Amino acid sequence: MSDVLEQIKKELYDGNVDGVRSLTEKALAQGLSAHEVLNNGLVAGMDVVGRDFRDGILFIPEVLLCAQAMHAGLEVLRPLLAESGAPTLGKVVMGTVAGDLHDIGKNLVSMMLQGAGFEIVDLGTDVSPARFVEAVRAEKAALLGMSALLTTTMPGMKATIEALEDVGLRDQVKVIVGGAPVTAAFAREIGADAYAPDAATAVEVARSLVKA
Amino acid sequence: MSEKTQKPLIRYLSDAQVEEIHERSLRLLETTGVEVGHEEGLKLLEKAGAKVDRDTRRVRIPRELVARALETAPAGFTLAARNPRKDCPLVRGSRPYSRNGGGADYIIDLESGEFRPLLLADVRDCYRLMDALDGIDFIAPVFGHDMPVVGRDVLMLREAFNHTDKHIHLRTFGGRNLRYMFEMAAIVAGGKEELKKRPVVSLLEAPISPLKYLDVTVDALLLCGEYGIPLDICVMPIAGGTGPVTMAGNILLFNTEFLAGLTISQLAHPGAPIQYAPRPMLMDMRTGFSVAGSVELGIMAACGAQMAHFYNVPVSLHGPWTDSMTHDDQSTLERMYMNLMAGLAGANVLVGAGMIQQSLVTSHEQLVIDSEINNIVVRALEGFEMDEERLGAEAIARVGPGGNFVADPHTLKFLRGERYTPSLLFRNSREAWVAGGSRTFLERAREKARTILAEHRPSPLPEDVGKALDKLVAEALRHLEK
Repeated sequence: MSDVLEQIKKELYDGNVDGVRSLTEKALAQGLSAHEVLNNGLVAGMDVVGRDFRDGILFIPEVLLCAQAMHAGLEVLRPLLAESGAPTLGKVVMGTVAGDLHDIGKNLVSMMLQGAGFEIVDLGTDVSPARFVEAVRAEKAALLGMSALLTTTMPGMKATIEALEDVGLRDQVKVIVGGAPVTAAFAREIGADAYAPDAATAVEVARSLVKA
Repeated sequence: MSEKTQKPLIRYLSDAQVEEIHERSLRLLETTGVEVGHEEGLKLLEKAGAKVDRDTRRVRIPRELVARALETAPAGFTLAARNPRKDCPLVRGSRPYSRNGGGADYIIDLESGEFRPLLLADVRDCYRLMDALDGIDFIAPVFGHDMPVVGRDVLMLREAFNHTDKHIHLRTFGGRNLRYMFEMAAIVAGGKEELKKRPVVSLLEAPISPLKYLDVTVDALLLCGEYGIPLDICVMPIAGGTGPVTMAGNILLFNTEFLAGLTISQLAHPGAPIQYAPRPMLMDMRTGFSVAGSVELGIMAACGAQMAHFYNVPVSLHGPWTDSMTHDDQSTLERMYMNLMAGLAGANVLVGAGMIQQSLVTSHEQLVIDSEINNIVVRALEGFEMDEERLGAEAIARVGPGGNFVADPHTLKFLRGERYTPSLLFRNSREAWVAGGSRTFLERAREKARTILAEHRPSPLPEDVGKALDKLVAEALRHLEK
């Protein structure tokens, strides 16, 4: 493996935004292809970050910083990766359901998904089924993420899924739900595609849903 | 400028009440006195001006002798470890250090859950486990039923040296044994003078309440002084049994007993390192049992710590103690509040890791749990740093209403350092818990004990030191059997 790619991985792990940007430029100048830098540098680096996050060595804010560094490198590569378009995993519409104003969990998931390469459209809190449906349609979202912290607002998730069915959009978008009182059983019951108990799992689940 | 928060400290006794307990103790020593059978001890006291009644062995100690002893007793000292990185400096206002309770006779088997006599193999595992646990700072002996009765204390020390490089806190069955044990410690420390500088062992001895010093205890007071070995004077009247039923009376009694021991020690060897170890107990008036985990013990012990601070000597208190028969909710509840009270009272040493059913039973999983409890108490006492940057007003302004701090530079800067990361407490989702086998707290503790016992290898003694110890132990056993 080339030295410069190893350096990219190291600087990415340390969350050095400028370092990753300039090393990515250096790698291209040395004649490496954009795909090589992407896969063996940036993506490989984020894999190490993901592993250490799962093992409790890295913390969420550090992972977010690593993700920022990765994005700095990605910006350099973007024009060269034209044939496959922008290297994004897809658009995710996110929001806390109607009647619920809790958002730190939802924001955390948004940031983590963004770090992982998704494009986020955050609708904020107290989002009605109609607004979710409209955003999914307008953004051509691949994923819809809904959050609730109250058992009294959880039914908003079911109402949103039904609203997607009513307008014929349900097949075009995968639905992930989460939040403290939400369970995997509830997710199945309301017809969601997936449930994630925490931000890290949300990223894994989102990745597997867009691959499927 | 960065400044640490205040050290939290429980104070039950007012300054006037501290003075009163001190004054009453002096009067009791002058009028009632204590019983001492030990000939050398008696002569020492008599020569210094104490009134000795040879027939009753009663010694009445004038207050001048006590005052002199309080002047020469050191304010702090270090429990040195074979590995200096594991030293435990006992300094006022500093963090507490913890050890297991010594002298357990039974164990709850890690695999079968059976209650059974403790055997040598268990002793070795206990020592090895404690060597590995970061919340247990030094080690007291437990005794195997399958060991010879004569010289069992000597043999247990030999085992301890093999299985840990932490400081070792001794128990003894007699003065002759003790001298051998100190000679063993001198071998490990690199000579008698080195041992004085770096005492790799310490001792606990307890007078009999009320007011009686047995020969073995006076032997210990004198020998510890000679070798420069730190000694805990452990005073443990049982309120309503061997002490007055009231808390005030029990505190007065144990304080009087402590001052008597301190005086003997300092008369023989001025400057000898002594730790105050108030270990008040109370008798359950419904059963006659001596109780270890009651909240009143925490109160009385905290008052003992106040007296120790008044005398400016280090203080050791019972920490994780329980009356429960097994590792259950009662045990965890009692040991947590006892340990936290002791820590908040300003103890230098927290005693009792691993102990169940007062100090009769030990278990490996309990040691693992208590390591965690000790770490939490140490963290609780630590407080935090406060300064311009840590106050984070700039960050609050930057994030503004409705934002979040997750990815703010302030968060990244102070992400680590302030928080204790528990090793046993579960703080994740139900899914993660189920995926991990839905294990309870106790099951996780057992698993950790198993992992440590399977993997941990203590740092070995130098070969020549081991051989020299074996030679001395053999000689001790031959001598003690006579």
